[in-house]
Amino acid sequence: MYLIGIDVGGTHTDAALLRDSSVVALAKVPTDHGDLFASTRKALEEIWHFYPGDGPCRLQLSTTLSTNAIVEGKGAPTQVVAVPGPGVNLASLDLPFTVHELSGYIDHRGREAYPLDPQELQGLRGLLGRGEGEAVAVVGKFSQRNPAHEQQIGAELSKWYRGLVTLGHRLSGRANFPRRMITAFLNASVARRQLDFVQTWRRVLQDLQIPLQEVLILKADGGTMTLEASVERPIETILSGPAASTMGVQALTSRQEPNYLIVDIGGTTTDLAAVVEGEVLFERDGAVIAGYRTLVPAVLTRSIGLGGDSELHFTPEGGLVIGPRRAGTPLCLGGERLTPTDAVSALELAQVGSRAKAQAALEAKGRELGLSWRALAEQIIEAFVHQLAQAVESLYRELEGMPLYTVREVLNPPDLRPQAVVGLGAPAPVFIPKLAEALQLPHEVLPHSAGANAIGAAAAAATLSLTVHADTELAKLTIPELGQQEDIPRPLFFDLDKARSLAEERLRELAKERGLGESEEIYVVEEESFQMVRGFRTVGKRFMVRVQLRPQVRRVRG
Amino acid sequence: MGKTEPVVGLVFFPAFDWCITPDHPERQERLLYTRDQIQEEGLFDHPRIREFRPRLADPGEILRTHVVLPSLERNITESHRIAAGGTMVAGDLVVDGVVDRSFALLRPPGHHANRIVHGARGFCVINNEAIMVDHLRSRLGPDLRVAIVDTDAHHADGTQDIFYNDPGVLHISLHQDGRTLYPGTGFLSERGGPAAYGQTVNIPLPPGTGDEGMLMALEEVVLPILEEWQPDLVINAAGQDNHFSDPITNMGFSAQGYARLTDLLAPDIVVLEGGYSIESALPYINVGLLLALAGLDYSKVREPGGGRRSQSREITRQVAEICRQAKELWDTRGQVDLKEVFGSGPFFERRRQIFYDTDQIMESQQEYIRLCPSCPGWRVIYTSSTRNRTPAAAVLLPWKPCASCQGEAREQYGELEKDQRFSQVIWQEPKSGAGQAPTNLRGSEPR
Repeated sequence: MYLIGIDVGGTHTDAALLRDSSVVALAKVPTDHGDLFASTRKALEEIWHFYPGDGPCRLQLSTTLSTNAIVEGKGAPTQVVAVPGPGVNLASLDLPFTVHELSGYIDHRGREAYPLDPQELQGLRGLLGRGEGEAVAVVGKFSQRNPAHEQQIGAELSKWYRGLVTLGHRLSGRANFPRRMITAFLNASVARRQLDFVQTWRRVLQDLQIPLQEVLILKADGGTMTLEASVERPIETILSGPAASTMGVQALTSRQEPNYLIVDIGGTTTDLAAVVEGEVLFERDGAVIAGYRTLVPAVLTRSIGLGGDSELHFTPEGGLVIGPRRAGTPLCLGGERLTPTDAVSALELAQVGSRAKAQAALEAKGRELGLSWRALAEQIIEAFVHQLAQAVESLYRELEGMPLYTVREVLNPPDLRPQAVVGLGAPAPVFIPKLAEALQLPHEVLPHSAGANAIGAAAAAATLSLTVHADTELAKLTIPELGQQEDIPRPLFFDLDKARSLAEERLRELAKERGLGESEEIYVVEEESFQMVRGFRTVGKRFMVRVQLRPQVRRVRG
Repeated sequence: MGKTEPVVGLVFFPAFDWCITPDHPERQERLLYTRDQIQEEGLFDHPRIREFRPRLADPGEILRTHVVLPSLERNITESHRIAAGGTMVAGDLVVDGVVDRSFALLRPPGHHANRIVHGARGFCVINNEAIMVDHLRSRLGPDLRVAIVDTDAHHADGTQDIFYNDPGVLHISLHQDGRTLYPGTGFLSERGGPAAYGQTVNIPLPPGTGDEGMLMALEEVVLPILEEWQPDLVINAAGQDNHFSDPITNMGFSAQGYARLTDLLAPDIVVLEGGYSIESALPYINVGLLLALAGLDYSKVREPGGGRRSQSREITRQVAEICRQAKELWDTRGQVDLKEVFGSGPFFERRRQIFYDTDQIMESQQEYIRLCPSCPGWRVIYTSSTRNRTPAAAVLLPWKPCASCQGEAREQYGELEKDQRFSQVIWQEPKSGAGQAPTNLRGSEPR
């Protein structure tokens, strides 16, 4: 099996061709921000030259289409229809979109406390109009426990609304009404673009006469999904670039430690991610993009403004702070301001640009500060490593601050601390060994580091998850991601094992429907089981099971 | 606190794997729906609400406040240590200025736990607020002035017992009248020991009291007393069983009422106590409480379904009368001749029978407090129970003991140690550490 991975980055679009678990070729073209499609197509054409044609080939794409549309505020005009019920006043949330509030309420058990008002439903017609070229997100409180209200509103809209409609419960089985509103809003606003994108790709692949077996899209959780799924859930494609990089690291690293730290050092920023027990950590609630807090499952990355091209600030006390802003191109590469890269060049820690230029600039600045050029350069390197180590510490502090809700966890908190450092990015060979030394950990700097993101995109596997909420007292179970609510036929005999096997069975069906293989391993991400007692009598049990396909990455040989 | 946009530290510990017994009100499920509601409202995620992990309380931190018989290990589980530790985290967060206010939303509760512990009473074994108050005094020094306002429907007899003779603590308890509810105490006449007379304030409310009555007591008694006493810290022991849907009490409070109370009281630290209407009340009360604590809009918080009866005119009249009496007792506390109440010494003696409903234990206690003109006075307590039949003795020093009390207490302890009649003789002496300056206390800012 051949795999092509393409990652659209800020500066370059990278492509990688793998044959099973070996890298066959890498390619790189400049990203054309005016026409992302053209540069992506160019990258594909470049890498296609290396495809020998002796086996099926699949393309896995990490795009910035939705990310950019959200960051630049270029989504379709989108309104939100919400059923908030009693609780936090929506008006106090400063939501960046128009919300039409309907009365009605689903409570925390998923029971309808108040029904929707048919007159208000009718009234939506006047409020929303026909919606040509527009979109609507429909979100109710606790819709993940009972999607009935969202579905009723959806059914009403389908009679006359022409725009695209997103129902909140389809996107996530997790609690968090404000995040669900935002996620559904963003999803609705970029849905049209994703549809156009998918149609264009289909056309292009026909034109190019490239016999790709399949095209998959990369998601923020480092997994892939089909083109069809991406039309329904485009929001999941956001931030797939950083996710692709961490997938690349997992594919390429030879470290065997279960816990390690990933440090991706770039020109402007450094991204940190953590692997624990062999799996990269996810955001607790979901991705944050352009200040929007979403429920999109995403690789947890923390970005700091520290890179090879960062600004240097000398304090009057003789201290030095690097970043967080970018200074521009380093002097040694023809820029105008001193950067960490110039210190690297002058000290010959790596061959970058004109060493003479770098040294001259350091000498000039050093004279001002009463330092030799060498002492100054060393101070810059030291400050860089120091700030990096601080950022690492604050990442793990944050992770270790995550709440624990059981006695068992408090007594044995999970060990998240890294046992190794894996670095990538152009400045990595210089800084990673020093960082590892400061942290007293072994390290690895990845080969092919320039293409790790594309390799990660190629090596990623499908991810898919769903949630089962079951309440045996009400004899109801809900699978929000599938929009299903059904009766539990024999509630007395329903237990956690049954909830688990039902979840697995439905996920397997969904995987099949989405064209994924049957071999994928399903595992339980989260589960809960509570006995419900009223008076002094057990009246039922409540279960929550969240299952997913085990995120997999092919280990790749360099 | 003057801050209009306070940041709230939330120490949430639902102990999802701990219960007294599987069908007991204190069971795994108790905070489940509260978690669901807070999560769904997005409050764990709110920029002004920060969540913190609890920690395990050390045995020394518990024994600074309690005398536990026959031993700590025989009485508490890890869950009790985490609830006490989590409450101390909530206290530290505020005094260290990490957050402006904090909320220890955790279980098991503690306000029925007395200083002497033979077992569990009213679902409580150790007193979370009291352990926190002593922890803060050990860090910040014994001059810290702490007010505890207990709004649980049950009288906070444990907290009252622990601080009964402690001039550093003002303890106000609003509760359903003790003639109608466990633990059967908390009358206007219980006003504190010789060294802290008047600083135990009880406001027993008639069954059926609703938001109006509770808020009346707050506005006419509690707030003026706090204004006058000027505490450095206000702690709200926030029981949520005054709610009209609570299965084990008879009050008529609503989620809006709780939020309004929190808003008016503006406590620095809130600690959850009871509250067993786990589905119909707790989720909404806790959302309202968190919003009010963080200075956010709580106007739309209400429990669906309704069912609240408004307070009758007769109850309003009764509450007004109780408020008048409670305020009068406070205002005249300085005019009472303490010799008439406690005798002229050298010791004040108190004998009590204490019932432990949860563990079905009866304790007999005899206490002697030294009536000392220059400090709160040392104490000796003799205690035995149906669980620990051989009596134990405890010699207790107050915060800031005078030299003569220290000497006398030492001597008494030495004698008791030689006495074969006692199974154990315990020495308890609260001590302050380095005495760091508090950074963010009420005293430094106008209320």
